Amino acid sequence: MMRRPAALLTLCASLVFVTQALAADLPQRWVSAGGALSEWISLLGGAQRLVGVDTTSQHPETLKDLPSIGYQRQLSAEGILSLRPDLLVGTEEMGPPPVLAQVRGAGVRVELFSSTAQLAAVDDNLKHLGALLGREQKAAALAADYRQQLEALQAKLKQAQTTQKAPGVLLLVGHGGAKPMIAGKGTAGDWVLQQAGARNLADNQGYKNFSAEALAALDPDVLVVSDRSLDGEQALQALLKENPALAASRAVKDQRLVRLDPTLLVGGLGPRLPAALHELARAFYPDAQATLAP
Amino acid sequence: MKRLMPPRTLFITLTLLCLLAIWLSLALGPVSLPLLDTLRAGLRLMGAPIAADGLEQAELILGQIRLPRTLLGLGVGAVLALSGVAMQGLFRNPLADPGLVGVASGAALGAAVAIVGGSWMGGIAEWFAPYLLSACAFVGGLGVTALVYKLGRRDGQTHVATMLLAGIALTALAGSAVGLFTYLADDATLRTLTFWNLGSLNGASYQRLWPLLLVVLAVALWLPRRAQALNALLLGESEARHLGVEVESLKRELVFCTALGVGAAVAAAGLIGFIGLVVPHLVRLLAGPDHRVLLPASLLAGGALLLFADLVARLALAPAELPIGIVTAFIGAPFFLFLLIRGR
Repeated sequence: MMRRPAALLTLCASLVFVTQALAADLPQRWVSAGGALSEWISLLGGAQRLVGVDTTSQHPETLKDLPSIGYQRQLSAEGILSLRPDLLVGTEEMGPPPVLAQVRGAGVRVELFSSTAQLAAVDDNLKHLGALLGREQKAAALAADYRQQLEALQAKLKQAQTTQKAPGVLLLVGHGGAKPMIAGKGTAGDWVLQQAGARNLADNQGYKNFSAEALAALDPDVLVVSDRSLDGEQALQALLKENPALAASRAVKDQRLVRLDPTLLVGGLGPRLPAALHELARAFYPDAQATLAP
Repeated sequence: MKRLMPPRTLFITLTLLCLLAIWLSLALGPVSLPLLDTLRAGLRLMGAPIAADGLEQAELILGQIRLPRTLLGLGVGAVLALSGVAMQGLFRNPLADPGLVGVASGAALGAAVAIVGGSWMGGIAEWFAPYLLSACAFVGGLGVTALVYKLGRRDGQTHVATMLLAGIALTALAGSAVGLFTYLADDATLRTLTFWNLGSLNGASYQRLWPLLLVVLAVALWLPRRAQALNALLLGESEARHLGVEVESLKRELVFCTALGVGAAVAAAGLIGFIGLVVPHLVRLLAGPDHRVLLPASLLAGGALLLFADLVARLALAPAELPIGIVTAFIGAPFFLFLLIRGR
């Protein structure tokens, strides 16, 4: 009988060793080439493992202090290798392929993630990241929470739509207000509008320039403005100043202009999206403000 | 008039410059390798019996990344400069540029078709997909140049002036077609297209290198044989004819070499401007217009200049990288201006 506790002790000790050994086997030096991925990594507590990020990794702010490996589609093999990474993570947008082959050839693990705007992609990505970080539970919790937030929003929107018709909306993506483009079908912007309970009035594919006349004909109830160089009120003012024709539209007359952070629209679904969607939904359904609080 | 550099001095200088460029291109990069490791890894790659201990990293970076990149840079720079000489000789105008016969715009159109239209063309064999862009750029460049040449032919003669105008017209036409593809492109393909138009030696690999090096070798061996004929052409077409030069076949060869060379360079590294225009000009400022000197000297100078530009491209923003087309113009243009002002 005396042997058993000893055996148990040995078992416990060996288990501790095994988990420690596993933790040491996890990749320690990470390079991330994807904005949303970098955000998720930071949320999962892996920020201190990042040794380099690409130019789309803008959140959280601290990532901007890391060495930049350039734009995710235009990576340089030697540049990445100079950071001595164990792991390069990115979406299928990462490239060019010959460079990825060189990085792999140098013994760096390259892991690909999905940047499609679908909840299932978020689940998969988080599971994958969790395993790579050794934080499976935290990742599962985050994924469940994400799903729950988006599903709750859909339920509330359904509720709100019983009293108010879904508004017709256009999403304008621009630079300092000049020559904005409309987010059409198949874009991340389109997905965002739909998730926030709007009808996207644009039926073009991808992001396209628009004419003031076409915009007048579509006559949106709400304009969502996503400006890459200006913030908040300034962005809205600049847009109206550069495009005086907009002033005649219903959205401007009713002062229903909403701004959206443009970094939410690139590189897949990130952790800041549910809050942004709730905010948009509140702007789309002013009567249901209270119920649509996150 | 300013005294010219004797050919011997010029060749020695340029050869040394080229060797220096090759050495720096192999020795410098975002990954800082100790000089000794670079040397030993280099010797090992050449087959010297040196122990591999601790050299894996250096050997990989040298052999798989820097060497193919250096060879690509040399090849592209050399062939662009040679094509520049050929075009300036053909048009008898130092402002001529390989783009004049439509090869660059044709290649850009081919690339746009491959990048934007690639997803629409179903059923591309898997092994071919990575080469689609290069193949389309090459075919586009050759195709448009062939058309320009054809339009310049009349009564069994090539009218250079007509060819020039046809080149301008077709460049505009190809430009608008590229514009149409740009309009149809989505975000992802648009970015790829933009970067392709700026050129890059990034991601060079041996598989993609061989076709280019073969073309460079062919052009580099062929054009110097026609140096005397090019010299005669400088006097004028009828004068050259009286001197016994077969002008028609010379023109055909010049156009063909340019289309082949620039087409292959563009297919391998994207559009890299400036080298083809400025390198021959620069060499002419230093050593005069004799094509027997101009051709080989431009080859050396083109290769060296592109390697130096690439060094800046890969080191300036490391670990990120600049497109090389930005650098060639950015360091080349002021240097060119300096030479012009000094030469006055």
